[in-house]
Amino acid sequence: MKRDRTNRIGKADKACRAYASPWVLAGLVVLLAATMAVSCMFGAVDISLSEMTQGSNIFWDLRLPRVLMGAAVGAVLSVCGAAYQSIFRNPLTDPYVLGVSSGASLGAAVAILLGMEVYVWGVGGMALAAALLTVVLIYRIASIGNRLHTTTLLLTGVCLTLLISAVISFLMVLNQEKMESIIFWTMGSFGSSTWADVWTMLPVAAVGIGVVLWYGRDLNLLLAGSEAAQSMGCEVEKVKRVLLLFTTLMVAFAVSSCGVIGFVGLIVPHAVRLVAGPDNRKVVPYSMLCGAIFVLLCDTLARTVLRPSELPVGSLTSMVGAPLFIYLLYKNKKGL
Amino acid sequence: MIELKHITVDFGKRRILDDISARLEEGCITAVMGPNGCGKTTLLRCIGALLEPTSGTAEIDSRRVKEYSARELAQKVAFVRQQVQTDFEFSAFETVLMGRNPYQRRMQNESQADWDIVERCMKQTGTWHLRFAKPGEMSGGEMQRVMIARALAQETPVLLMDEPVSNLDIAHQLEIMRLLGGMDKTVVIVIHDLNLALQFCDRLLLIHDGRMLYHGDMAGGLTPENIQTVYGVKTHMAEDHIIFDY
Repeated sequence: MKRDRTNRIGKADKACRAYASPWVLAGLVVLLAATMAVSCMFGAVDISLSEMTQGSNIFWDLRLPRVLMGAAVGAVLSVCGAAYQSIFRNPLTDPYVLGVSSGASLGAAVAILLGMEVYVWGVGGMALAAALLTVVLIYRIASIGNRLHTTTLLLTGVCLTLLISAVISFLMVLNQEKMESIIFWTMGSFGSSTWADVWTMLPVAAVGIGVVLWYGRDLNLLLAGSEAAQSMGCEVEKVKRVLLLFTTLMVAFAVSSCGVIGFVGLIVPHAVRLVAGPDNRKVVPYSMLCGAIFVLLCDTLARTVLRPSELPVGSLTSMVGAPLFIYLLYKNKKGL
Repeated sequence: MIELKHITVDFGKRRILDDISARLEEGCITAVMGPNGCGKTTLLRCIGALLEPTSGTAEIDSRRVKEYSARELAQKVAFVRQQVQTDFEFSAFETVLMGRNPYQRRMQNESQADWDIVERCMKQTGTWHLRFAKPGEMSGGEMQRVMIARALAQETPVLLMDEPVSNLDIAHQLEIMRLLGGMDKTVVIVIHDLNLALQFCDRLLLIHDGRMLYHGDMAGGLTPENIQTVYGVKTHMAEDHIIFDY
């Protein structure tokens, strides 16, 4: 087998630029802005650009908060997916596959049943507590020695997801009058996004994504294994704890405002890695922007395909994501 | 200088290391030898602060290794581990570049100086032509040399190496051992090849059932008697070479 090793000599400088290229970032930002504009135009009722500038009510009160939420949640889920894949050293993980999103939805459901939605951080806080509990559980169950095994990790995630959905069904039957609003968490939709949701989500997303970007190089080192990372100067335990806390915070708030939207964190970082390589200092910022664009496109499709009725956006992302996940499993068979 | 003080390590009920005390001289290559499972890797992990001994301490420059921050220690000690495995496709160049981490600030790009160091280390280990290769495209021995390059790129005075030449062909074994001998580093190396150790290492730390059987000059320690005790293998010396008797 002749290996391709020498024909790229001299390009080392370009190949090894570690941080994201400002040109690519600018291009993605422009693309995101265009997607947001298009997404604002289409829906149960179409709005023209001129109507938008004149300040139509549908645009200001419904479309714009929905589009902003879609972008923020897409960014958050993709960044969390990229971070999880490095922390768990496994390309098949994301908050949805590991059941962390489900955990958050259980927390949110319990909060609603207890009437906590009157407090701004009530639902998000409960979702965060439940999601953190799920992360800790998974980490404890799936780590054998100091290594996390793919099979155990994925099975633990699947089992927790099943268990949690059973508990949620149980809660729904017990509280039929609140069933509608609980079903919402398990499906995922931006249909009821308000400005209040936007103002809670944006700061959480900004802080959380900022933290993940800050630890970009550490994420790379974690991929080399905990001990190798430690001996290359990464405070492994601290870094893992901080990252798990902030990513879980983001997931919890995303879930508590729009429900569970599956597989975004799996699809987007994978697509980005195919093009940009594995370096997290590129993968994280690119995933953030691509994730926002991807979810916006899915949401626009979800509300236009069957007009005037709507598809849950979670079902769309899963229809793309689940086959990809199966393909990746197939490709990784040897590693299991 | 590395100082081991009464290091004892228990895994559950099993005693892996039993009261190891030694002073590893600066600038010397110390071979840690003994049969499989006798605690060699465990000893290295204690020195690299990857494992907290059940009792006793490891000190580097008169300071306990656990008192160093990860970053400080990574500027003093580099570790070449036995197994490497990753599902993510960093090129060999990017892998070696990670060794520069202890000298970089957050959100800072690698500098030209970092790249030059990486180039030098990859050339020293004969891996420069592999720099664009991904893990799946390299053999075990090539991967092992990339890992050695990464440890060299950390530019540390101390180098801990866990069987760094086990997957290498003879030519590369000699090349790496000669490279280590030519550098002014304190090297602690786990190695199984008796003659290679005899030829290239200055000192010997012989472990038998978790206890230190011998620590001192290489030639004085690698005797047919000690080899018989530790490995249960009969040998004799012939012109400074160890010959196996079957």
